[in-house]
Amino acid sequence: MKHYRAHLLVCAGTGCVSCGSFKIKEALEEEIKKRNLQDEVQVVATGCNGFCERGPIVMVQPDGIFYQLLTVDDVPHLVEEHLIKGRPVPKLMYVPPAEKQPVPKMKDIEFFKHQRLIVLRNRGRIDPEKIEEYIAFDGYEALAKALTEMTPQTIIDEILASGLRGRGGAGFPTGKKWAACAREKRTPKYLICNGDEGDPGAFMDRSVLEADPHAVLEGMIIGARAIGAAKGYIYIRHEYPLALKRMEIAIGQARESGLLGEDILGSGFGFDLEVVEGAGAFVSGEESALIASVEGRIAMPRQRPPYPAQRGLWGRPTVINNVETWATVPNIIRRGAAWFSGLGTETSKGTKIFALVGKIANTGLVEVPMGITLREIVYGIGGGIPDKRDFKAVQIGGPSGGCLPAKMLDLPVDYESLTSAGAMMGSGGMIVMDDKTCMVDVAKYFLNFLQDESCGKCVSCREGTQRMYEIVKGITEGKGQESDLALLEELARITKDASMCGLGQTAGNPVLTTLRYFRHEYEAHILDKRCPAGVCKSLIRYVVLAEKCTGCQSCKKACPNDCIKGTLKDIHLIDQSHCIKCGACKEACKFEAIEEQRDEAIQII
Amino acid sequence: MITFRMNGLEVRAEEGSTLLDTAKFYGLEIPTLCHHEGLTPHGGCRLCLVEIGEGLRSKLVSSCTYPAEEGLVVRTDTTRVWAARRMMIELMLAMAPGSKVLQDMASQFNVTQVRFPLRNTECVLCGLCTRICAEQMDARAIGFQQRGLKRKISTPFDMRSEECRLCGACMYICPACQLRCQGPNADTAVCNGCLTMEPSCLEHYDDLQCWMYDAGRCGTCVRDKV
Amino acid sequence: MAGKQKLTIQDLAKIREKTKSLMTIREGEGRARVTVHMGTCGIAAGARDIMDALLEEISKANIQDVIVTTSGCAGLCGAEPMMTIEFKNQPPVKYGHLTPEKLRKIFVQHILGGQMATDLVLAVGSETVY
Repeated sequence: MKHYRAHLLVCAGTGCVSCGSFKIKEALEEEIKKRNLQDEVQVVATGCNGFCERGPIVMVQPDGIFYQLLTVDDVPHLVEEHLIKGRPVPKLMYVPPAEKQPVPKMKDIEFFKHQRLIVLRNRGRIDPEKIEEYIAFDGYEALAKALTEMTPQTIIDEILASGLRGRGGAGFPTGKKWAACAREKRTPKYLICNGDEGDPGAFMDRSVLEADPHAVLEGMIIGARAIGAAKGYIYIRHEYPLALKRMEIAIGQARESGLLGEDILGSGFGFDLEVVEGAGAFVSGEESALIASVEGRIAMPRQRPPYPAQRGLWGRPTVINNVETWATVPNIIRRGAAWFSGLGTETSKGTKIFALVGKIANTGLVEVPMGITLREIVYGIGGGIPDKRDFKAVQIGGPSGGCLPAKMLDLPVDYESLTSAGAMMGSGGMIVMDDKTCMVDVAKYFLNFLQDESCGKCVSCREGTQRMYEIVKGITEGKGQESDLALLEELARITKDASMCGLGQTAGNPVLTTLRYFRHEYEAHILDKRCPAGVCKSLIRYVVLAEKCTGCQSCKKACPNDCIKGTLKDIHLIDQSHCIKCGACKEACKFEAIEEQRDEAIQII
Repeated sequence: MITFRMNGLEVRAEEGSTLLDTAKFYGLEIPTLCHHEGLTPHGGCRLCLVEIGEGLRSKLVSSCTYPAEEGLVVRTDTTRVWAARRMMIELMLAMAPGSKVLQDMASQFNVTQVRFPLRNTECVLCGLCTRICAEQMDARAIGFQQRGLKRKISTPFDMRSEECRLCGACMYICPACQLRCQGPNADTAVCNGCLTMEPSCLEHYDDLQCWMYDAGRCGTCVRDKV
Repeated sequence: MAGKQKLTIQDLAKIREKTKSLMTIREGEGRARVTVHMGTCGIAAGARDIMDALLEEISKANIQDVIVTTSGCAGLCGAEPMMTIEFKNQPPVKYGHLTPEKLRKIFVQHILGGQMATDLVLAVGSETVY
């Protein structure tokens, strides 16, 4: 295949043709041949760009520059300046009226330009409550193809060939799961969509369910055809009322249009879906607990094997996949496995949506090809850390994941490399932390979450998370002892080893990664009794600066615990043994004479 | 029949049996707590863990719930298994130090310290009581409530139950309240009296406090310290 | 249009063509299409107030040829509430960090006057669909 260094896309829509775009195309081809550039620059006629009143339009790729209102006379100058000398010609560029400078394009905005939308392709451009708008952008075309041109086996083969891996966290090859279920003979078979999304900081599934519910529906109908299921359930957590509402509307509209129900699109194949609402437990995102919840029982995981593909909902073969996974399926069927596997790395194909949140300039949802580095996400797309602070860590994978420090920023994001670093892809939550974040406090936060959300069956998980929380909490309160670190590590390892389900098996990760990469912070808390980030209140000391104190007594009056001593015009003193670290004295002082000391070791006076 | 390996031995099991059933049949001892022959397996205490698989893919599973699988490689007593078992005993002792069953197990597996503050809830949430009430006594008067930190076993809404026939099966089967260890309170709540030559309870009482007479078979407390 | 009738594959193609052309407002049904992004992030940031202000301005100005629609989250959740204005034959324009006051300014300058309020524009164009 010839490798051109530039493409000239000449708009050949009706509007531009009537303005003479074909003549421009001929003129360009002639000029390029004259300058001997025909092996480097290709001229292509495209469909309408939408800029019709500014035609003829030529877009130069990969530069992404729009030239407008061209005449045949402009052509030699354009080729000379832009293609040979590499200097785009401003006077021919698209500039909005009454403006001196070109307005930033989406393609220029760091946040948007690195993203490659597959699952989020409809974001911001369709009304999710109108099925027609989903159809307008090739919606249900994949379903039509699957039902008329493909067999269940070829559908599974396509998904296998694409390399799609489950986007819920574990990353199990989706095609393999479908194949295993398709092999089962017992019926009825079921499909489940896991929309529980319990990770704090993750909201990509919510976004897909709210903004593009039909993508999930289409994926599930295709999946049902592939494995031979007649009924499916979409499990959406109770905390997503908008998603629940939009999904119900979408299912209703799909049913009305005959895209759900019997004889879909005249193929003879029938499938129906129902929404099931969750009831507020993180553990119900675990597949066997979710199945129990749909069955009306308490959401508690069970031993696997047998896996849901063999014995799932009501003991029948069941395929349970994440929202993002289902929403990817129609794209693979429509565009082909080769298209999908063209993005990503050797082992992790396609794109992944990350919820980029925390101490970052651009918060939002980013869909990027697998293999992109953390640095590109944090500094490129994310725009870096605001308030000129330093990057400290990025937490990936929610409470099952881990915190990676700055030295790991060049790590490519894919399933294997994240796991080997001690973290986990998880559902895609990415929480960025700056130097004002205490990593011990972060571990405490996640352990508190896990100890509350553990279902409580396994001693290792229930007691393990509670005891780990106890120890870490003690460390943040200045009660840590040297022996704590070894005990913490032992507990974390054994909780992971001995627990039955994914929650327990990853519950040790917050502790293990923070210990691995931020051990010095734990040691500072325990040995020096100080919190380097200045977060753990018990380890902060409020001190009066003698050189600035005027003895005005404002702090003494502000103190709720009566622990500031001093007379008028004398330097005041804070009694550390009674200080409750509320900070009222510092706020009251008008001379900046009270300092919040974090960097010095605390000595009890 | 399913054929697989257990501790290097080739074993055969019937379809539907678990790793624990197979081990018991072949006389291999695996400790259990929440397991009972007459009740459905629970897999909660994590004492019956065994290591399956080999190399990097090996993992620990509870043998009371894991089904026998063709070609599986099982090892019942590895470093990982013992480390986990001992931690489970330690964690459970921190909840119910008064349980003789746990204290005995602590002695058996050489758990000599409890490094966590004691909770004294006298319940390890093993679920034996709920299962015997539901499955054998057909009453379903008690059950698990809440999750995580707040998990407990009680009657619905903690109200007096009309279903409860006061049969006492729950008390009978409970490992925490069945036989109370009468030993003196060690400060880390592990008596280990059975590990030493001289049972420490005889320093305080005239009679041996544990109920280990058992037709003279056991006598652990007078066994030599290894 | 998809309604109370079972679709065939041919129907899908027809709906696609018809709706797509409507959405790109090329067949005279409107001169501009305004989308207020109302995902949960937008709603939490105040998108409903923006929508109310927009509808109020439209009714005050008594114009009939502007299509108002809603969509889900546009992706840059930190910039919500967001709005996209698409004029016939022009690329879509995204506005972010909206308040009812900014909306009124954009309404007058862009929707009525046809000129982008460049100091408030986030970006012009569409995202890269792979």
